[in-house]
Amino acid sequence: MPFGARFCLVIWAFLALCPSVFAQEAPQTVAYLAGSERNSALTSHMMNLLTDALGDDAEIRRFQPGQTSQSDGSVIITLGPEAFTLVRQESRTAPILALLVDEPFIAGYAERSAGDIGAVLYNSPLIRQAMAGKVILPHATRVAMLATPESVELYEALTPRLPELGMEGRVFIVSDNDDLIPALVRALEYGDFLLAATDSTIYNPRTIKHILLTTYRRSRIVIGPSQAYVKAGSLASTYVPLRTTAESAAQQLAVFHQTGRFPPPVYPDEFQLEINDQVARSLNIPLPPREELRATIASRLSNSTEGAHE
Amino acid sequence: MPVTNPVANSSFHCFRRSGLSVPFALMVATATLLPAPAQADSDAPTPDFSGLGSVEPPLPEVLTTTRLRQPKSRVPGTTTIIEGDLIRDLGVMNLVEVFRLVPGMTVAEVGSNNPVTSYHGTVHYEQRRLQIQVDGRTSYRASLSDTDWHTMPVPLELIERIEVSRGPNSAAHGINAFLGTINIITRSPDDTAGVQLGAASGSRGYLRAFGSVGEASAPYSWRLAYEKRQSDGFDKQIDGGEFYPFNDGHNINTFSYDGIARLSDQISLDLRGGVVDGINEEDLRKNGKLGATDNPDIMVDDYYLQTRLNVTTSTNHFFHFQVSFQNYQRRQRWPICISGPQIDSLLEGNPPDFDFEPGDCSAGDDPAPLIADLNEDIEESRLEFEIQDTLYFNPNLKLVSGLGYRRDTFRSETFFNGRGNNYQSRAFGNVEYSPFQWLTLNAGGNWETTTTTDEGYFSPRVAANFIINNNQAIRFVYSEAVRTPDAFEQTPDWSYRPRNVQAPYKFLEGVRFRVEDLVDPTTSTFGIDLDEERIISREISYFGQFYMDSALLSLELRYFNDQLRDMISGVINEVDWFIANNVGLDQEGFEMETSVDYAGTKLRATYAYLDQNGWYTGDPDALDAGDQDYVVELLGRLSVRHSGSFSWIQQLPFDLTSAATFYWADEFRRAQFERADFRIARRIYAPKYSYELAVTMQHYLNRDQDLSPDNIISDHNQFFVEAGVRF
Repeated sequence: MPFGARFCLVIWAFLALCPSVFAQEAPQTVAYLAGSERNSALTSHMMNLLTDALGDDAEIRRFQPGQTSQSDGSVIITLGPEAFTLVRQESRTAPILALLVDEPFIAGYAERSAGDIGAVLYNSPLIRQAMAGKVILPHATRVAMLATPESVELYEALTPRLPELGMEGRVFIVSDNDDLIPALVRALEYGDFLLAATDSTIYNPRTIKHILLTTYRRSRIVIGPSQAYVKAGSLASTYVPLRTTAESAAQQLAVFHQTGRFPPPVYPDEFQLEINDQVARSLNIPLPPREELRATIASRLSNSTEGAHE
Repeated sequence: MPVTNPVANSSFHCFRRSGLSVPFALMVATATLLPAPAQADSDAPTPDFSGLGSVEPPLPEVLTTTRLRQPKSRVPGTTTIIEGDLIRDLGVMNLVEVFRLVPGMTVAEVGSNNPVTSYHGTVHYEQRRLQIQVDGRTSYRASLSDTDWHTMPVPLELIERIEVSRGPNSAAHGINAFLGTINIITRSPDDTAGVQLGAASGSRGYLRAFGSVGEASAPYSWRLAYEKRQSDGFDKQIDGGEFYPFNDGHNINTFSYDGIARLSDQISLDLRGGVVDGINEEDLRKNGKLGATDNPDIMVDDYYLQTRLNVTTSTNHFFHFQVSFQNYQRRQRWPICISGPQIDSLLEGNPPDFDFEPGDCSAGDDPAPLIADLNEDIEESRLEFEIQDTLYFNPNLKLVSGLGYRRDTFRSETFFNGRGNNYQSRAFGNVEYSPFQWLTLNAGGNWETTTTTDEGYFSPRVAANFIINNNQAIRFVYSEAVRTPDAFEQTPDWSYRPRNVQAPYKFLEGVRFRVEDLVDPTTSTFGIDLDEERIISREISYFGQFYMDSALLSLELRYFNDQLRDMISGVINEVDWFIANNVGLDQEGFEMETSVDYAGTKLRATYAYLDQNGWYTGDPDALDAGDQDYVVELLGRLSVRHSGSFSWIQQLPFDLTSAATFYWADEFRRAQFERADFRIARRIYAPKYSYELAVTMQHYLNRDQDLSPDNIISDHNQFFVEAGVRF
């Protein structure tokens, strides 16, 4: 008998005699991952990261349309608002862990279906973004923000917290399209930097060119709302790495499996900082190394939170 | 929840089907289960924006290299940037006063309160050794090459920033960028949508009103702006130990229209146009000529048109083509009264007696005097073309190159006996090469021909910037530049033709009295060709920025050593005309510009030290010793040994902002200039509008007049109030 065949026989025998060994190491749960058809690379990448984060405790399978009717209550992990909406339309009772969504999008669902809908938010909390602005411009005392009447509540929780960072803030309301530039100009007169939340009514592909160019010409900077905007010309933004998102998702799943309920949507504590070095150089803003800035932001946020709790 | 072990099964099936060896199969299985190489997750972030494409919309890269400004650390020379916000926060009341904030620049008033500014001084009248551009439009006058700051169509509210390149910059901007370059950049109509109104009023009849309205949209943005500038000028003048009223105010109105049409993502078209209209008062006693009996006020009527086509072919290549036309029209007419014996003596060919005093002559005198009108009307226009191409071969190698053509036309019966033209053509280029992160090399030059001398000139500049930690740089710069004589210096055909002549001298109507025949013949150089002035400049400068706990410190130091040769100096008026390439200057010194931004506090300081030595290099027999000293001294009238400024802007509670600024220049011809400005402003931001109220006090610490004894301000405290609204 060739060596290969003999080796295979040994393996078969081992499997037949020791099933309990494998039963103990096998995943206990299955979760389905619903990604975007338009970006299968992202879905595959997240599949790997989630598998890595969950280890042997769970298995991740690709979500198939109609899955919710067969999954017997398995958690469905969605990537992005589009995937979430599709799954949600398919079943209003299936437990969903939403990833790569922002708070304004998921907050309503999470509130209405408390426990059944969990989320790991991909956007950065505004207080962290504001701190990033303060660390980059240590002399900053005023934060300007732009919002529509509908999105102004995005900044509601932030404004009273800015004094903790040694700053104050003001939201400039944009009532309609024609109002954007006048409001922006007034905002830039007020603020040392413009803090941008994930607010597609203000910051979107149609407006971002105008906002960034006007801000740059005024020698002001934009902080946020995300990595993609930093590439476009925003000076900096904190962001949650996908690996951190996956690890946080694993924690949410663990809680769900223990309690049968998801906790409210969470911002992962770990974050990274993206910087547009070219814009910083052009505006003559000296920047320490990225990791040093990130550590300073984290440290000051920690101190600020501790101080607030005291 | 169903529990299965699909991983083991699938791996196994794979193994069975493939027939591969178990170790290899296990390796494959393991590899597929491990995470893919992190793209967006590594500890040292390498962003993968495409990864979030499903949750974020695709965004254009807005601030590409084509739109970014060159950082100071890589600029081939020291540049001061004054932001428009700083100008407004400090309560600067006139455009020219901004330059008191620039190290090495001096500001003064000559004649009937006509502002003049220079970098590293030289002459006070007809200061013409700076290239001055407004939005890329050459803005000094075509014939005399000096600058009329009163009528510059730049409202303070519309200044985005002013960049002053300190040191010869002919390599980039051509002849006349001899001592430096002022580049005034106004706000884009993209950034001024909405309505803005403002007004300021204060001492000595100061009044400024501003209004603008505009819209910004993707296909077209526009702005219409108006500004009124009015002042009574200085309070009084002194003549023969007695004080007299000083007719030296101005009342200027400017209208401007700016538009940007975006023809595609890669092509945009800038459109600009403006009109300047008003009166610049000239005083009879100060500027009255040839028996003037009334103030020779200047009526201003200017306009300009400008268009610029911007084409971006890629992120690494863009160019623009610009055309501008400017027309300056000055109408200056005054009545004269010359006594009968004086005019008769002149007509008999005797040397003229120019000792006129107001009141010496009147229409009823016996014998009858010459009663007529004289004028110094002039119309100047400039047509300018420029194409500039920028090419980024790679991030470390950039080339800027271009061609320019200019036609200066001047029409004046008095100064040129008709019409004249000067033509200038130039080619320029600059290569920036960064072979290492710590080194940036610049080499550039400008080749230019001009019909004023019918010669061509090459002005080179080379620079090496050694960059330390991205935040500090040491520059070594060598540059050469020339200034060619202007049209009036080189080709004057100056005469006066009496108009509206009354009896009994009606026969003199339109008769030409040539200044060439009037000036002192023993010293006259009238009609003698002048050569170009030359400068060789060497600069060692340092630029650094540092974080200091909660503050940002910026420091720029400049050492310079300049050799100026064949400098043109002398006197040109209707009595004397002796100018020549007759002075050499050596100058060296150092300058400092620093700012500290604390939370809520901004401190800024400048200092300049200038050691300038001049000597007469002209024909020893052309001028006597006194006049030789005089022409050397004239080239130092705006040069001061020590000068500087200190500013402190402080945010205060209740939306208040205070500013305190101290300016000094030690010292001009007569005294040092010392002034402290204090401003307190309250800016309120309402949901739909914001408004500002401010009070400014200017306190003159030194009450002696700096340059001219006539520039008398009676009260050493001057007050101004401002109000503005934006919505």
